[in-house]
Amino acid sequence: MSAETVVHEVSVGEASGKKVRRRDQRSPLASFALHFGLFIALIWSLVPPIWALLTSLKPNDRAITTQLVVFDNPSMDNYKFVLTQTDLPTWFLNSVIVAAFTMLIGLFLSATAGYAVSRFRFPGHKQLMWSFLVTQMFPMAILIVPIYNIFARLGLLNSLAGLVIAYCTTAVPFCAWMLKGYFDTIPIEIDEAGRIDGLTPFGTFWRLVMPLARPGLAVTAFYTFLTAWGEVAYATAFLTSDAKKTLAVGLQSFVGQFKTEWGYLTAAGILVTIPAVIVFLLVQRNLVAGLTAGGTKG
Amino acid sequence: MARVVFDNASRIFPGSTKPAVDALNLDIPDGEFLVLVGPSGCGKSTSLRMLAGLEDIDGGRILIGDRDVTHVAPKERDIAMVFQNYALYPHMTVRENMGFALKLAKIPKEEIKRRVDEAAQILDLTEYLERKPKALSGGQRQRVAMGRAIVREPQVFLMDEPLSNLDAKLRVQTRTQIAQLQHRLGTTTVYVTHDQTEAMTMGDRVAVLKDGLLQQVDTPRNLYDHPDNVFVAGFIGSPAMNLIEVPLIAEGVRLGTADVSVPREVLSAAASKGLKSVIFGFRPEDTTLGEGGVPITVDAVESTGSDAYVYGHVDIPGGTQHEVVIRADGRIPPRAGDTISAVITEDHMHLFDPSSEQRVEA
Amino acid sequence: MSAVAADPSAGIPEAKKPGRLKRSWDRYWYAWAFITPVVLVMLVIILWPLIQGVFLSFTDATERNVAKVIGGRQIPATYDVVGLKNYVTVLTSSTFWVIFARTVVWTFVNVFFHFTIGMILAIVLNRTLRGRSLYRALLIVPWAVPAFVSTYMWRLMLTDTGLVNSVFTAVGLPSVPWLSDTNWLFISCILVNIWLGVPFMMVALLGGLQSIPTELYEAAEVDGATPWQRFRFVTMPGLRTVAATVILLGSIWTFNMFAIIYLMAAQGQRNDIATLPVFAYDLAFTGIRQYAMSSTYGVLILSILLVFAVFYKRALAKQGEVW
Repeated sequence: MSAETVVHEVSVGEASGKKVRRRDQRSPLASFALHFGLFIALIWSLVPPIWALLTSLKPNDRAITTQLVVFDNPSMDNYKFVLTQTDLPTWFLNSVIVAAFTMLIGLFLSATAGYAVSRFRFPGHKQLMWSFLVTQMFPMAILIVPIYNIFARLGLLNSLAGLVIAYCTTAVPFCAWMLKGYFDTIPIEIDEAGRIDGLTPFGTFWRLVMPLARPGLAVTAFYTFLTAWGEVAYATAFLTSDAKKTLAVGLQSFVGQFKTEWGYLTAAGILVTIPAVIVFLLVQRNLVAGLTAGGTKG
Repeated sequence: MARVVFDNASRIFPGSTKPAVDALNLDIPDGEFLVLVGPSGCGKSTSLRMLAGLEDIDGGRILIGDRDVTHVAPKERDIAMVFQNYALYPHMTVRENMGFALKLAKIPKEEIKRRVDEAAQILDLTEYLERKPKALSGGQRQRVAMGRAIVREPQVFLMDEPLSNLDAKLRVQTRTQIAQLQHRLGTTTVYVTHDQTEAMTMGDRVAVLKDGLLQQVDTPRNLYDHPDNVFVAGFIGSPAMNLIEVPLIAEGVRLGTADVSVPREVLSAAASKGLKSVIFGFRPEDTTLGEGGVPITVDAVESTGSDAYVYGHVDIPGGTQHEVVIRADGRIPPRAGDTISAVITEDHMHLFDPSSEQRVEA
Repeated sequence: MSAVAADPSAGIPEAKKPGRLKRSWDRYWYAWAFITPVVLVMLVIILWPLIQGVFLSFTDATERNVAKVIGGRQIPATYDVVGLKNYVTVLTSSTFWVIFARTVVWTFVNVFFHFTIGMILAIVLNRTLRGRSLYRALLIVPWAVPAFVSTYMWRLMLTDTGLVNSVFTAVGLPSVPWLSDTNWLFISCILVNIWLGVPFMMVALLGGLQSIPTELYEAAEVDGATPWQRFRFVTMPGLRTVAATVILLGSIWTFNMFAIIYLMAAQGQRNDIATLPVFAYDLAFTGIRQYAMSSTYGVLILSILLVFAVFYKRALAKQGEVW
């Protein structure tokens, strides 16, 4: 780079024979290397979903062959099959219900708490922040057994409501943590101006802070939704009847002990993934800011 | 409109033993423009925030218009505040920002519109009323923040360094505008700044704070002419007053090799306190070049065109030196290396007790 | 009101004014009102099960002796408290230590690759580059795919005659028993998890890189720093906070990862590749349900994570990180 700097300082006319390269340019070779590296990374990232997509278009019984076949009578038959001949639509609906309720309850409960830990230094503030943090470390393994037994007594096993409650064990502290990070980015003077203008603390939260935190709320909501959307352990342990299964459980039935219905499985997998990917690409930029902000300012 | 009183008001931040504001006493009559000034961390912003109700009061009282507001919520205090970063609501238009407090106070829509339009007229904001703060320049945002305060027609305006985010030229302009506006409205105003020029030019009276303690409160003129202590003397005025500890002699003080005569009354006051030495203060502008003065060796000269500030030193017998600054005519300034003789105007000498740092008054 | 009195900072000690308690209640009541819903919910759905879980780990509860409802009839629990017996059993068994070691390897290898690959990609993407935002969007895709779907996608590619082995054979490499051999299966799981975890690190580190002011690089350049020195003395210190956070988050997530290992293996294979969370899950929900043992594992896992987090935080604090 130092060589480039020197070149830059020589005016164009004086650079005898030597190629003049501007500061923000690099050699074609370096450019090629960069793009080539990124291309390899792209292949690594995209081949699994693309291959699943291609497989989903093949006839179900020829999904895996000894030879490498890219296209084999492409058709939507697998999609038609999983949507009409299996419980996939039910599972899909169940997943939407569970994820949506987890998201709504998580956000609704945690927003005020996230605001309180972001703004007020009340007695108990530290302990609450600490508990948000620690609960995110909780392995599913420590809560799943007692929750299972409590639910067994309450008759909440094999019910979507029970699953939502179980998911809230992670969703509520997670949302509070994320939202705290977003609320921290709103200047406290806004709150103070609101208080002087005549708002109560609740009014400040509701009329000033919530509207301003809308992007953060959206990101937190989506992420909570997607976490519930893809959860396996609780769903597998709790849901037993086909009518109550979510996608993560239902798809396991395409995987047999000896034979896997790859055509159906991939078609279902693609259907599950597409909405997730779209949502994700929309919010990912703001997501990480929220995740790490909570940690650095904690 | 109202009188504002700080009555021994104190603030101790949680986890600290030292008060951020220590028993502050201030009586601000109705309609006065009072400036709180001091170095950063002196407690001036905390004092303002105590008055606003944004900071708890751990001791003493605060009165607004003879009403004890010590434990009253901000919204019940009938005040308006202009924040350093303006704190405009980003999701509201200028009109909504200015009318928000009125809307919360359930004032009729037409009345709100009338008052906002009127304030916008005064502040030259009419054409921006439907914009969001993001679409405004720094100066316009500052005016919106002012407008938000004006429309409320409060008893007191509170301003927390409202000009510090503006560039130098705009700051000088806005300074005059705010002062004029305040005179026109006649609303009691408490204004916080760290800039002593702002304090001197805007305030009816200026309160100087340091380490949470009120040092002096007086008119700009009196602060300048009769600083109560060494801190105020050094803080007010630019370049700062020369402050040198010197021995007392029969007719005055000895500065370097020169004897400087001091008004008799002041001298006897100092003598009656039994002082052997004093801190002797004089402003750079209270000197003239001429025979029989204090010999000063010039180190550097800084010319502003009209004036020249001479940075030099006085040699003290025994090998030490004292830095001094004096003002000279900008058209015929001395040169570095020259030795000049500066006569200090007798009427404008300041003597301070070296141990208490308080002014020795005749 | 007792909560107010318990707080040392609620009022200044010298101020012996009456109404001090009332005043700090006035000051904090709304903060407490704001947090009440969350605190209640967390007490009920997290703390209560947690206490139960810890309690279960001191009993001999299995599916045979826990309370249950059969045909509308309540059958009370008949398990006994056995003290530390479960912990002794677990900690003296080689099973636990083998799985523990495997979990540590799993976490370390995964986070190492997540961080390294994520860092390289972040640095590349932080340069001006044609098509940068497209690269970025496409490289994030693995994060967006739900983990259970990713696992199936990889299983499809890694079957004995799947895409990967076809390509291997085509270029003359021997085909690999990715899924049938348990050692290879573990490696395959790591592969899938690396695939899954890199995008988060990449995006987080990219955010960190972009928050380093350009002036710092310019100042370093004017001071004559080489590209390596600029990386060493500007980029690395600038990334410290972000890196510290994402490594901690990544370690915890990876440690607790369930879906990949659970779904990659056929049932018979799972014991040979299980990490602690998967093993604890299988104890409770596969075969005879050993609730007490599973809870014991759960408590141990939580303890391990807490110890790790505390040490991690200490290490950071020692280096002057305010975190």
